[in-house]
Amino acid sequence: MRDLWPQVKALLPLVEHPVRYIDHEFGTVHRSADDDPNDTSYCMIYPDTYELGQANQAVRILVNAVNAHPHMFAERAYLPAADFIDLMRAHDLPLFSMESCAPVADFDIVGITLPHELAATNVLETLDLAGIPLHSHDRTEDDPFVVAGGPCTYNPEPYAQFFDAICIGEGEEQTVEIVDAVRAGRAAHKSRKEILEDLADISGMYVPSFYELSDNETAKKTGYAVHPINPHAKQVIEKRIWEGFADSSAWEPCVVPYAELVHDRLNIEILRGCARGCRFCQAGMTYRPVRERSADNIVKSALEGLKKTGYDEVSLTSLSSTDHSQIREILTRLNKALEGTGTRVSIPSQRLDAFGVGMAELVAGKKRGGLTFAIEAGTQRLRDVINKNVTEENIFSAVDQAFHAGWHHCKLYFMVGLPTETDDDLRGIADITQRVYEAAKKAIDPRQKNRLKVGISLAVFVPKSQTPFQWDGQISPEEAQRRINIVRDAITNRGIDVSWHDPRSSFVEAIMSRGGRECGPLIEQAWKNGARFDAWREFFDEDAWRHAGDEVGIDVDSIAQRNFDFDEVLPWQHITSGVHTSFLRLERKRAEQEKVTPDCTFAGCTGCGLCTDRGIDFETQEVRHG
Amino acid sequence: MADPSLFRLRVWFKKQGRCAMLAHLEVARTIEREIRRAHLPFAISNGFSPHMRISLGSALPVGVGGTKECFDVFLTQYVSPQRVMEQFASACAPDLAVTSCKYVGPHDPAPSAAYPISKYELVLTRPLAHELSVPETVTVVRKKKTRILQVSDFLVDPPQVSADKTTITFSTKAQSTGATMRPDVFVCALLSGQWPEIDAACQSEGHTLGLGHMAAAVDTLTRIDQRMI
Repeated sequence: MRDLWPQVKALLPLVEHPVRYIDHEFGTVHRSADDDPNDTSYCMIYPDTYELGQANQAVRILVNAVNAHPHMFAERAYLPAADFIDLMRAHDLPLFSMESCAPVADFDIVGITLPHELAATNVLETLDLAGIPLHSHDRTEDDPFVVAGGPCTYNPEPYAQFFDAICIGEGEEQTVEIVDAVRAGRAAHKSRKEILEDLADISGMYVPSFYELSDNETAKKTGYAVHPINPHAKQVIEKRIWEGFADSSAWEPCVVPYAELVHDRLNIEILRGCARGCRFCQAGMTYRPVRERSADNIVKSALEGLKKTGYDEVSLTSLSSTDHSQIREILTRLNKALEGTGTRVSIPSQRLDAFGVGMAELVAGKKRGGLTFAIEAGTQRLRDVINKNVTEENIFSAVDQAFHAGWHHCKLYFMVGLPTETDDDLRGIADITQRVYEAAKKAIDPRQKNRLKVGISLAVFVPKSQTPFQWDGQISPEEAQRRINIVRDAITNRGIDVSWHDPRSSFVEAIMSRGGRECGPLIEQAWKNGARFDAWREFFDEDAWRHAGDEVGIDVDSIAQRNFDFDEVLPWQHITSGVHTSFLRLERKRAEQEKVTPDCTFAGCTGCGLCTDRGIDFETQEVRHG
Repeated sequence: MADPSLFRLRVWFKKQGRCAMLAHLEVARTIEREIRRAHLPFAISNGFSPHMRISLGSALPVGVGGTKECFDVFLTQYVSPQRVMEQFASACAPDLAVTSCKYVGPHDPAPSAAYPISKYELVLTRPLAHELSVPETVTVVRKKKTRILQVSDFLVDPPQVSADKTTITFSTKAQSTGATMRPDVFVCALLSGQWPEIDAACQSEGHTLGLGHMAAAVDTLTRIDQRMI
């Protein structure tokens, strides 16, 4: 492969933070002269800057998975920051991989993770900068196979025309199968279409060009918005589950960056999945079933990882780490082993009850800065609607214990625009926040009183595909602002800091989550209008998106805000996380009735359908205690 | 803070190749991780957020390398310098590798103050076009504040040009207040007037710090020695 480093190096003195582009971090795997130059090459891309992408677990896991197999290798790439992108275009320098500094377009397969709904224009920026045709049907025999994966593929339709193949579910095994299929296909001189057919044969793979949009009548009859037009394409794509997760080592070799970046610490994934069943949460539906790694595995892996990487912090990651049945044992053993080494243990979020705070105490040592609590809704009624199984008693016992234990600030997270929300629920946010403040004031050490800080953060609800709220429309940006203002104005206590996410970009998230194939041209036009780095507040260009809607004839507000009927065929109906649509529908009805559904790992099966279909079960190490 | 129960180890390392692009804080973070990977018995500070007892030498700007950089790390047990070197061997990135070490006394000056004189080597990608003329002042603009430095306050050995006119060495000293003249800024001023097209590029982009467009003529800029007065 060509080495672009001399050209890159010449431009680095002109860009901000050149450390993003130099590679050669500790732990990187490089090609050597002994390696077969004909090995099949895979480039794993995070479609945002190095700072945000370096720590991404998908990149790390999949690069390791491919490198563990013979006849193939993987490298990483990130989208450069805007200043370098512009300079690269001016100097005809294409997007390059990190390890070999090779053109991304020279790889056999390019994998792009879709980590959130605001990455769509960055996908196009990535492909364009790499010099790869944007549309699957424009790619020729010499172009790489462009593959997507990650959370946003649960509604792949807006991205359909840009990707040759899309992975649904967990990629540990699937990615290796993809690279192997391309290797074998190229060795046998198969055509691009034949290789795509081989990819479509892999379980959990969706090859969008092998499907056509159905007319309304056909869609109604079949129940799916698209139908296969190639014998290798399946009508329904079921997500992959990596059944070896619980028994595999929690130590995943990783690259240790030079740069200061987001989540720069050793990450140990202690469990996968969360079955609490919050009705707004996509991850809670799509990462099922819950699988725990053992305390022995986790403690041993964390210590080995710290020794090999030199990190001074280890984070025990998952969707709900304090739900691990052995969490107390894990934290106690790690604390003991790490005493006197200046190493911190952290958990990404804690359960909103006294037990959760107790676990936070175990890891916090003497430094007790801030705690965050995701309460999500201001009244018990609305918390029951969204199935956030948290009571006022839980909340106040957590607050009381935290401020007694020496914390001086906490931040509360809420959403606005949830289904069935009324102005009373919004005033409820203000009310509970002010009561939390009073409770904290009572519990805090009187000498620390002037350090007391309570803040709240408001996010606009984004309806997500594959959740019980997938049928619900989003509120308009104006209505979102009105509701934010109600909360803001109702908080009269000046000790409380109120912040909120800019509601202007929320409609883009809703479109990406719930739109169909017609949104492909919308993304492309928005990108042509200058949209990129949509997740960055300072870059988000609302006009680029709204004008794009006018130009391609799509009412962007309607896609974001329309309520879908229960019997409507949804654009992503052919993609399944294993959770039955009938279960989602039932959950939506229970929401309307303000009825809660328990967590199956605590209270027995709730009938989502996944385990019974697949003949599997959740895997906890011990009995979980609620 | 002298703690007689601790062993104060001074370690020399190089910052070169791609790692010349690192900023001082990035070097510090990496060094700390190298020490942890080398499994040295480092001391930990007391307080609410305990951290490694380490103290770095004077900073180098982004883009400037060094072959004789140093830091002190406090150890709770004596480890022979030879053993330290062995343990660092597999713990370091090659472009940020430890080269030697020795123990120093508890009251010796900190590494950031011990060696006020820095000797730099500038390697050009092309021979000088004209005789060098040392500027009287250099202008440093940072966060909209302009400061004019008198070169004579800092320059202790004037630039020496190699016979093939592609290598230049010079030495600067830090003032007793700690003030320094950035070598990359000095080099930009020193080379201005050599090549019209580079001067034009420099002016059009308005880079005020670092090598910027001057990098087109600069292969490497490296601190090759640090010494006492």
